Amino acid sequence: MYVKGLAAFAAAVGVGLLSGAAIAQEVKQEKQSVLGNANVSPVTQEQLNAADKNSKDFLLTNGNYAQTRFYPGKQIGRDNVKNLHVAWIFQTDVKESLETSPIVVDGVMYVTTSFSHVYALDAKTGQQLWHYAHKMGPITVYCCGPNNRGIQVLGDRVYLATLDSKLLALNAKTGEVVWTTNIADPELGYSETMAPTVVKDKVLIGTNGGEYGIRGFVRAYDAKTGKQLWNFNTIPENSVGVWATKDATGRDMHRNIQAEKDMLAKIGDPYAKLGGGVWQNPSVDLATNRIYFVVGNPSPDLDGSNRPGDNLYTNSLVSLDLDTGKYVCHFQYIAHDVWDLDAVSPTVLVNVKDKDGKRIPGVIHAGKTGHIYVHDRKDCSLIRFSETMVPQENMWVLPTKEGARMLPGANGGVEWSPIATDPGQELAYAINLHQPMHYRVESSPYPNGKLWLGGAFTAIPGEQQSGNITAVNYNTGKIKWQVKTPEPMIGGILATAGGLVFTGEGNGKFAAYNSSTGKELWSFRAGAGVNAPPSSYMIGGKQYVVVGAGGNTQVDFKRGNNIIAFTLD
Amino acid sequence: MFGKLMMCGAALFLIASQARAETIAEKVAVCTGCHGEDGKPVDKTIPTIWGQQAGYLYIQLRDFKRGDRKSEIMQPIATQFERDDMLAIAEYFSQKPWPDLGQPRAPKDVAAKAVSASASVGCPACHLDRFQGDGTVPRLAGMGRDYLAKTIADFRTRARGNNPGMSDLMLATSPDDLAALVEYLAGL
Repeated sequence: MYVKGLAAFAAAVGVGLLSGAAIAQEVKQEKQSVLGNANVSPVTQEQLNAADKNSKDFLLTNGNYAQTRFYPGKQIGRDNVKNLHVAWIFQTDVKESLETSPIVVDGVMYVTTSFSHVYALDAKTGQQLWHYAHKMGPITVYCCGPNNRGIQVLGDRVYLATLDSKLLALNAKTGEVVWTTNIADPELGYSETMAPTVVKDKVLIGTNGGEYGIRGFVRAYDAKTGKQLWNFNTIPENSVGVWATKDATGRDMHRNIQAEKDMLAKIGDPYAKLGGGVWQNPSVDLATNRIYFVVGNPSPDLDGSNRPGDNLYTNSLVSLDLDTGKYVCHFQYIAHDVWDLDAVSPTVLVNVKDKDGKRIPGVIHAGKTGHIYVHDRKDCSLIRFSETMVPQENMWVLPTKEGARMLPGANGGVEWSPIATDPGQELAYAINLHQPMHYRVESSPYPNGKLWLGGAFTAIPGEQQSGNITAVNYNTGKIKWQVKTPEPMIGGILATAGGLVFTGEGNGKFAAYNSSTGKELWSFRAGAGVNAPPSSYMIGGKQYVVVGAGGNTQVDFKRGNNIIAFTLD
Repeated sequence: MFGKLMMCGAALFLIASQARAETIAEKVAVCTGCHGEDGKPVDKTIPTIWGQQAGYLYIQLRDFKRGDRKSEIMQPIATQFERDDMLAIAEYFSQKPWPDLGQPRAPKDVAAKAVSASASVGCPACHLDRFQGDGTVPRLAGMGRDYLAKTIADFRTRARGNNPGMSDLMLATSPDDLAALVEYLAGL
């Protein structure tokens, strides 16, 4: 995923002097956990399986196991969305980057904040029911902000992964800890920011750490006990691959294969510290019992000199068997990446047209490259890639000591932000960044769990940055509509059966658009960056849309601590 | 200055008694010689450790012991500590109040230059938006100006060798921009 060398919007426009001198310590962990009593029914596996048809709840981070982020309710539609107004605002105790996907179960909402706090709220009123303030260990190592993207509920338990690389089960009614499991050693660069995916009594979790020389993984833990059931190393012991010289779109990546082969003969397979984090949730194909996820960048990000080979399965789509964690198939977008233009945004399962126009089960992923990639779910093979959603220039120039200019910048394209789809319209909706950057390379040995970039990505002062919302027809690869935004976009998007998409911007704007045309129909100013994926639900016969407005660390958007729910009169 | 450095150097002579120290207060007695009894370092090239992030302090002690970070004074001291000692010492100092070194705020033009440079390489992604740090990432806001300047210079030459990622980022930033950052951070 991205690194620290990113480029904040402020670099280009010269705004945003950091406020204040001698500022008090940031607001965090000043609150102790507050146990409560949330009157919530246990969530069954059957409910989770049918989440795509459930407009009452919002049960999974990306709406359902296929991760379509398509909400089936339509009370809020194109005609009446102009009347949308604030129902309530809840202020958390943590004023720092907010990336949570609110989960709604039986009238109870669960949201998380930076530093791994969890709140249970009354989804109708915003009243706090309980608060879990994680007692963080002293050692946390993370590249892109102390974020947390949410929880999932199964039965009467809430599952949470924390910044200090622990997996927890909480009592969904009270917030009490039921069990805790150590996932990996944070001192070696491991951390957790993603929401777990819980299915068939398995808690699935990946790991951050691709900027620290970890060896990435996806794991399944027993939902009842926290015991590890299986582990899949995202970096196999033979990570060399096929010496691919072209990326998924057929462009030459300018690899020096002979130099890499010489290095391989000298140092052997570099798999042990090759990175390969998994930042976002897998999609689950319940019919075939498979999961699909994408793997992030190799370590170190920009310096490929000491990691010969394709660096499998970095920058790849990977499918596993859900029960065993055994490899099924993969597809690598960029072999031997030296730009951190990796694969981060979560996969989505939809039926797609194959090359002959026949409808087949597909899996799609939006890349940092600015393409949406469409695959055959059976063997992971690439069917097509979309028109580019952002400017591409000088690809794939190799990073230099002085800095080589290339677009997209290292954040993308599409960062970790989940896309939404509307299968009826055959459209995928993605939010994009445009940040011109210099790619610089430096070489240094493995630093024992420290930041290991192998160089830096730097925003180019004076070059304008921007963003966009793009609707792509995944059966043709053509862009149907695009809305330009003044700032790079990071957070997420939601499509609804009401013919709308909802998404937010770093300047605090949260808006609804006609999902067929991109026409803006409603907007609200939240006062802090809206850089989190929205959710929607029904309670008391009324539809609500909810989103976090807390800004973003990675692109340095104005921080806040608000969870805002909207509804109609 | 010379006198203060002599006092600081005298810390080395306390190391023998350090080995017998049992309580935290005894273990950290040696630290005050350089880092100050009131949290204000006795010399401007010595870092503030009162109120610093515990994870960062632990990692530095660990790295001094391993030899990943070099210091004629700190390495012999850290060598005597086991991991639990280091964690306890780190926690002890992290709970102390951050001292006000009385450094002036940077002028507006310098601050603007610093913020632009910081955004370009992404300092807030780890040090957070108010440079308070977190976990293993240090607080920079209000740190001694000379220490900041020396550390950045040492990162650029890799004389400070225990964080090559920071070296990469400092090498990607111009000396002018780094000078502005030093002034800006010291004055926060």
